[in-house]
Amino acid sequence: MNLLLLVASIAVAADQPQPTTVTEMWTAWCARCHAEDGSGTIAEPTVMVEPMDFTDCKVASREPDADWERAIAKGGPGVGLSPQMPAFEDSLTTAQITAFVSHIRTFCTDTVWPIGNTNFPRPLITEKAFPEDEFVIRPAISHYSERDAPSITTGSLKAVYERRFGRRSMFEIEVPFVTTNALLTRTGGLGDIALAVKHAVFSTNRQIISAGVELAMPTGDRFKDHGSGTVVFEPFISAGTMAGNWYLQAEIKEELPVDILRARRHFLYNVYAGRDTSAAPNTWTIGVELNGEDRAVAVTPQIRKGLTGTGALAASAGVMLPLTKRELQGTRWVGYLLWEYLEPVRARR
Amino acid sequence: MGRISVVGIPRTSASTTLKRCVPRASCLVPGIVSLTIAAMTTAVAAQNGSITGTITTTAKGTAPVRVTIDQTVCGAELPGEAIVVDAQGRLANAVVIVTGVKRQHPTEPLVVNERCRFAPRVQLIAPKATVKTTSNDPILHTTNAQLGNGRSLFNVALPFAGRTISRTISGTGNVRLHCDTHPWMRGWMVVTSEAASISGADGRFTIDDVPPGTYELGVWHEALKGAPQKVTVSAGKPTDVTFQLK
Repeated sequence: MNLLLLVASIAVAADQPQPTTVTEMWTAWCARCHAEDGSGTIAEPTVMVEPMDFTDCKVASREPDADWERAIAKGGPGVGLSPQMPAFEDSLTTAQITAFVSHIRTFCTDTVWPIGNTNFPRPLITEKAFPEDEFVIRPAISHYSERDAPSITTGSLKAVYERRFGRRSMFEIEVPFVTTNALLTRTGGLGDIALAVKHAVFSTNRQIISAGVELAMPTGDRFKDHGSGTVVFEPFISAGTMAGNWYLQAEIKEELPVDILRARRHFLYNVYAGRDTSAAPNTWTIGVELNGEDRAVAVTPQIRKGLTGTGALAASAGVMLPLTKRELQGTRWVGYLLWEYLEPVRARR
Repeated sequence: MGRISVVGIPRTSASTTLKRCVPRASCLVPGIVSLTIAAMTTAVAAQNGSITGTITTTAKGTAPVRVTIDQTVCGAELPGEAIVVDAQGRLANAVVIVTGVKRQHPTEPLVVNERCRFAPRVQLIAPKATVKTTSNDPILHTTNAQLGNGRSLFNVALPFAGRTISRTISGTGNVRLHCDTHPWMRGWMVVTSEAASISGADGRFTIDDVPPGTYELGVWHEALKGAPQKVTVSAGKPTDVTFQLK
């Protein structure tokens, strides 16, 4: 009986054509759950979870290829998603998995959406160009001393909420808390709250350029050195690209105070270069920034680490070291803790 | 010095004898030791008893599954395997476990996707086993393994026939297998290091080589439940028990 079953099974296997192209494989395997058109809408679904709608560009464009490849290779748990998505790493080659990602990318037909491949790791100072849905805590401590004068130590803690809107834009709310002993006694309180908008004006699979403006409001006490005491417009341009395995990001910004008697106009520029130490989402990323403000220049070596298997929680730390005008710039320790609040936090191998 | 050499055994002489003796069949001492151990083992095995029995139920067998997808491979209908019971109410695929008798079960068990069923439906495996899974069907199957609490152990795609994939399991409890593309497919891996047996199509089970004593027998089935029983095993003979599952 078993022999008969085996013979019958082999006969059936011989009759069944095996898919060879990615399109055929998609139809034979993936479309079972994700639908032929990638929408995830199936008349008689065999899985309990609702698959992602790959035709929805908001869903399909935001992640980098590496995340998609990981989802196919490791299955849903590899990127913090449902275990009903199986792992294909034992059945498909790396080239086939890459081809599947390219196929999935075709389901979003609106090319205006920036691709997640340009969502580079956030530098400590340089504004990243990719519009994000993130919550960021940014602590900083600076210290400097002049000859024959007491040293000044200033600390700040900024809470930043970023939210995408439209296809290429995001807004940001930044609430800073400041403590300083600039007036001999230590004081602390709310700093200048800032609102910002950013829009990706150009993007390809590897490059992105954004323009935006930040509006800093005089909510901080000027007399305690917690704020500038005037509204400041800060138009900026940010850009990012890859050079081999290196992330290159840059920003130029002009600070334009409304009341020039209370605050000075500044031109700022930041350039970042960094690279991951592995392909894992929780990799260490090492980088360095060149930070300029008018004629003062500083360098900021830094290190970043994804804190969870998906990289949705990450932390970075570095130190800004003045290269010029050292008498005006103190050493500044900077860092951040970020949470991509729309992403799954945990992943399993 | 001369007396010592005559009466005692010089150390060098003893060493030489031992070196010559060990590899040779004419050396009786190791042979006697191994024979003695074998005889003792045989004697202990002969003194052990066994537990046999029958699993019954008043439940009806599961209705056949009507297949709506991949009929060219799966067929139009498959037997319902959740409850497999014969006309006399004898139940297959129930697992009887003897608490307190250690037994080594497969550490590399194989589960096959065969004509849209998991084969075997139920099997015994060792804790932390490396599960090997393959498919004989030319369609996409997945072997999705979960613990009873729903925790996913692994889920691997098997789009091609003949490819075998290995995954080592962790955690405690039995493993439930299902296929995400053929929702009727179920398989079970009962994870235990105790002596155990799976009832056959006639509801019968046998657990050999159980030392005399009183034991608690537990019974597991994927859809039915039964109360544990205490049994006393006597040397050299089988102890027969009956479980009724509801």
